[in-house]
Amino acid sequence: MLFKVSWRNIWRNRTRSFVVIGAIVVGVWAVIFMIAFTMGIVESYVSSAIENDISHIQVHHPKFKDEKEVKFYLNDIGTLVSNVEQQANVKVATQRTLSNGMLSTSKGARGVQIRGIDPTKEAVVTKFDKKVIEGDYFGKAKKNPIIISKRLADKMKVKIRSKVVVTFQTLEGDITTAAFRVVGLYRTQNSTFDDMNIYVQQTDLNRLLGGESIGHEIAMLIEDTEQLESTQAALKAMFPKQLVENYREISPDVNLYETQIQMSTTIIMVIVMLALVFGIINTMLMAVLERVRELGMLMAVGMRRLQVFSMIMLETIFLGLIGAPIGLLVGYLTVVYFGKNGINLSAYSSGMQKFGIEEIVYPALESGVYFQLAAAVVITAILGALYPAWKAIRLKPVEAIHKI
Amino acid sequence: MKNVISVSGITKTYNPKTIPVHALQGVDLEIEQGEFTALVGPSGSGKTTLLNIIGGLDEATEGTVIINDQDITKLSDGQLIQFRKEHIGFVFQAYNLIPVLTAKENVEFVMLLQGRSQAERNKRVNELMAAVGLSDKMNNRPSQLSGGQQQRVAVARALAPKPTFILADEPTANLDSKSTANLLDMMAELNKQENITFVFSTHDQRVIDRARRVVTLEDGKIVSDDHRDV
Ligand SMILES: Nc1ncnc2c1ncn2[C@@H]1O[C@H](COP(=O)(O)OP(=O)(O)OP(=O)(O)O)[C@@H](O)[C@H]1O
Ligand SMILES: [Mg+2]
Repeated sequence: MLFKVSWRNIWRNRTRSFVVIGAIVVGVWAVIFMIAFTMGIVESYVSSAIENDISHIQVHHPKFKDEKEVKFYLNDIGTLVSNVEQQANVKVATQRTLSNGMLSTSKGARGVQIRGIDPTKEAVVTKFDKKVIEGDYFGKAKKNPIIISKRLADKMKVKIRSKVVVTFQTLEGDITTAAFRVVGLYRTQNSTFDDMNIYVQQTDLNRLLGGESIGHEIAMLIEDTEQLESTQAALKAMFPKQLVENYREISPDVNLYETQIQMSTTIIMVIVMLALVFGIINTMLMAVLERVRELGMLMAVGMRRLQVFSMIMLETIFLGLIGAPIGLLVGYLTVVYFGKNGINLSAYSSGMQKFGIEEIVYPALESGVYFQLAAAVVITAILGALYPAWKAIRLKPVEAIHKI
Repeated sequence: MKNVISVSGITKTYNPKTIPVHALQGVDLEIEQGEFTALVGPSGSGKTTLLNIIGGLDEATEGTVIINDQDITKLSDGQLIQFRKEHIGFVFQAYNLIPVLTAKENVEFVMLLQGRSQAERNKRVNELMAAVGLSDKMNNRPSQLSGGQQQRVAVARALAPKPTFILADEPTANLDSKSTANLLDMMAELNKQENITFVFSTHDQRVIDRARRVVTLEDGKIVSDDHRDV
């Protein structure tokens, strides 16, 4: 009966109930969308970082990380890579020779990182071949081919088939200069990366450096990302003298980014919930105050305070129970829709590309979040109802009845 | 006859610390089972105050209120609610019914609070709605009933838990003369047939004329107490 009265009570003032329900719906929807959108961005950022650059796990000479000098190389890297690929859960691995240097054209010179890659493997690990948007990928027998980014090409005023000069240090410590011919132009989503990195074939670079079988980096993709840590541990055992890092360690900003964005999501969620709490307090207080005499009568005829309290609480919980599922559903549908079609940020993304965020964001949300949110809303509703319900039971029946 | 209500030495002072209002100044009153008593007197004489104190809705400043041999001034808040639920039926001037419940559900409500069985509730509701002459309005909401009909449902509601007596503070104040007469007929009938004790306050001479006992209050004191045959 208490349920029945409470349920019907919320339909007494339809407009007001709809406003509250609407507020809950919008609140829940907004929070869902916000979280999903941020998750989408985080994921896009992380996967873009993994795809373009760091992959899941990398192996380096322990000193290479800080010093970035060519002399900290891994010997006989080809064998190491085949050993890595034997390892369980490793999908594919590739090797790179890395060197800092200078790229010169008739327009001037720029400091760059020269990445000597194994073209076939690199195409699998970072899909680098797909990022070549003009010209060809490596492979056609040409002498000293080089691929630079479209951005850099524009800045340096070079085209396909232009000749560029690359200067760097050999393993012996001498400065050497070599001419390369541009065969392709690439573009990633990360413009800072594009400005900094040029690609050559590892065999070419190694020859010029003076070490046929060396390399500085082994990068690999794994099958099951859940087992990132255990795979990493196995590799550490395999290379006790080398530095084996996963993508979070390699790129601490990925980690920072994840936590920071999660924090701002939490703050937004708290703000929305607070707004909801006050909205509910306000509404339910109105609902109590305009029913003072009726509540007084109920107490006079024998309704216990706990029952009055429960009645007000129930009314609020009902509002929450109507609003929350609608909000969840609308939120879910929005996430599913945009998860499929993406949200095109290209209008704003010239800024975002700097940070490695893709132009199209696909919001994503784990199902657990929906339940958490549903619980949060119901708790919010309960919190918001406490004060009005408490107010209601503080009424003295006589005074309440005589209040005009 | 047995006394169902026995109050003695009741005083009530509102705002004792600021501007004291001596609403009741030593009231003694005994009411027996089956009486049909009107409480009359000019506005501000203390009728409502007295009814509230008898009904346990308000506390007396001094004095005792004994109902069915139980001194209710000694009960705790919670016990008092329980006591009211079992012994006293209330009919107020207005706002008697829960607007979102039908007439039937309103009558049932107090019995539900008492935890009576479905069968018992149904039987009693039918009985009472017939007694107040509203068997055909069972499923109407209060807003679909006239003022007089609402007050009758209120009486049925008050009677539902089989209280010792019914207190009604100006039950006819908002009714036209025809509805007033109807309600009074019904109350008198219930009083006569089922020996239900009624105590009601009123300003209305037509209501006073129907009472078998008229207690007159003035300035918080009983100035006359007439028993008569109607
Ligand atoms: N809550 C209160 N606070 C202060 N004074 C009060 C309060 N309730 C009643 N009074 C005063 O007590 C006195 C008796 O009031 P009461 O309501 O009992 O009179 P009444 O006989 O019922 O009057 P009416 O016929 O107008 O309903 C009046 O002077 C009234 O102003
Ligand atoms: Mg009065």
